[in-house]
Amino acid sequence: MNEHDFGDLARRDTERHLLAAVDESANSKRAVMFLADFFSDSQNVFVTLLSIIPEPSEDFFPTEAERRPWLQAKEAEMQKHLTGYKEILLGAGFSDARIATRLSIRPGTISVGDAILEEQEKLRCCIVVVGRRGISHSEEFVFGSTSSKILHHAKHCAVMVVE
Amino acid sequence: MVQPAKTLQEATIRELIAGHAGPDRVPKRFKIITDTSDFFKVEYNDVVVLGGVPYWVHRCEKEGRFGIDDEPKYWVRRAIELTTGATKILKLVFHEQFETTVGEVTITCYRSPKKEARILDLVANHGNFMHGHWVLDAAGNNVRILEFIHGPRFDDVVTGYGTDHYDYFHRYFPQILDQYLELVLAIKFLHDNGEKHGDIRRDHILWDVDTKTNRWIDFDYNYQQGEALFGFDMQGLGNLLIFVAGRGDVLVPDLYHNQREIFDTLWGEDLSIAYKNRVANLKKIYPYIPDSLNQALLHFSVGANIFYETTDQLLDDLARARADMVSLTGRQA
Repeated sequence: MNEHDFGDLARRDTERHLLAAVDESANSKRAVMFLADFFSDSQNVFVTLLSIIPEPSEDFFPTEAERRPWLQAKEAEMQKHLTGYKEILLGAGFSDARIATRLSIRPGTISVGDAILEEQEKLRCCIVVVGRRGISHSEEFVFGSTSSKILHHAKHCAVMVVE
Repeated sequence: MVQPAKTLQEATIRELIAGHAGPDRVPKRFKIITDTSDFFKVEYNDVVVLGGVPYWVHRCEKEGRFGIDDEPKYWVRRAIELTTGATKILKLVFHEQFETTVGEVTITCYRSPKKEARILDLVANHGNFMHGHWVLDAAGNNVRILEFIHGPRFDDVVTGYGTDHYDYFHRYFPQILDQYLELVLAIKFLHDNGEKHGDIRRDHILWDVDTKTNRWIDFDYNYQQGEALFGFDMQGLGNLLIFVAGRGDVLVPDLYHNQREIFDTLWGEDLSIAYKNRVANLKKIYPYIPDSLNQALLHFSVGANIFYETTDQLLDDLARARADMVSLTGRQA
């Protein structure tokens, strides 16, 4: 599997393929726990745990030498979280074959919401699951909201927002 | 006798200074600097040589902001390009990262010479931005050499128009609105090219008296955006719109002390989402403001339910506001 080849992940349209978009936050963990609780008995449900790392602009780092270790550290941290989330699903009764993890580093010029929807389209997932942070009004104004973006722009799928 | 290279260079520089300012103004002692890493060492009368061109350094530029005394920016120096006599602004490398708070939102900002250099290349033919070029000094520092803009700040121009708000709004605002739209279009140009301004503030626009245009300056800041890639820029454009529509900030404490009857009509949702002591719902203060314009202002208020994510959305709404201003005042601009 690589960034452009989704052959081994794309499920047939008949399968119930959930895309859980997660990060390191507590609300992501809640979303995974909800999935574990709700779908562990459904043997035909397949879950892809997806984490998008928005790559900060090159301007953020004075030199390339500082950029690379930042990304490596972030990637390692997210990989650890993905492993933890997978263990939650396994612990609830999901079989290993029903879980995939995917980590994608995307340029900061693409929003996380757009990147998640792009993955959903490629993987042909029927449900996108996200947690919601419950950000303030002002925060949404300046930073925007990933869950709102997904709710408003998702096509050909259901969206599940877990609070 | 062959002179050492440095003496030759110094002699040449002395001649250039004498040619520019007269023999009496040639400093007795000055440093010739090719590595600007420590910008505090660049002093008045020193000569910084960049790309083979000598710049005779004068004073630091200053930044005045919201009543705070002007603070010298030691990394920004006014200088004379000795080969042409032109005044330039040298922006030396200063990496700075800090957190700024807008409302209750904390934003990580950082200063990036690379970003400003990239945008200088991008906007070289765009009249609504400062112009200049960049050079790597002997130590590889990206020094930006900016053309000096003659003219006042845009916000000072705005507040100078009219005898009161009614007079300003009916006689001058149509042309100010057109200028604002031009400034938004300039930011759209950046966004369309994947760049942000990063520090949109009313004192970062200068009215160029030579070209008769407003020009954005100081785009070396960047910020870590979230889902809304240009949210912070959009918020800056909103603050600026509220400012130009109100002929300055309409402050809650002023209303409380001077216009209590208006103060009593205000709700929290009428205030600016970014600055909770400023009124965004200006129609409550100035009832002749067209609904279409006020609707645009309300997108930047505490009561807003949806926000502008792109300049196109803002421009669409302001096109209606502009048409209504023409109807109201009979003035095209």
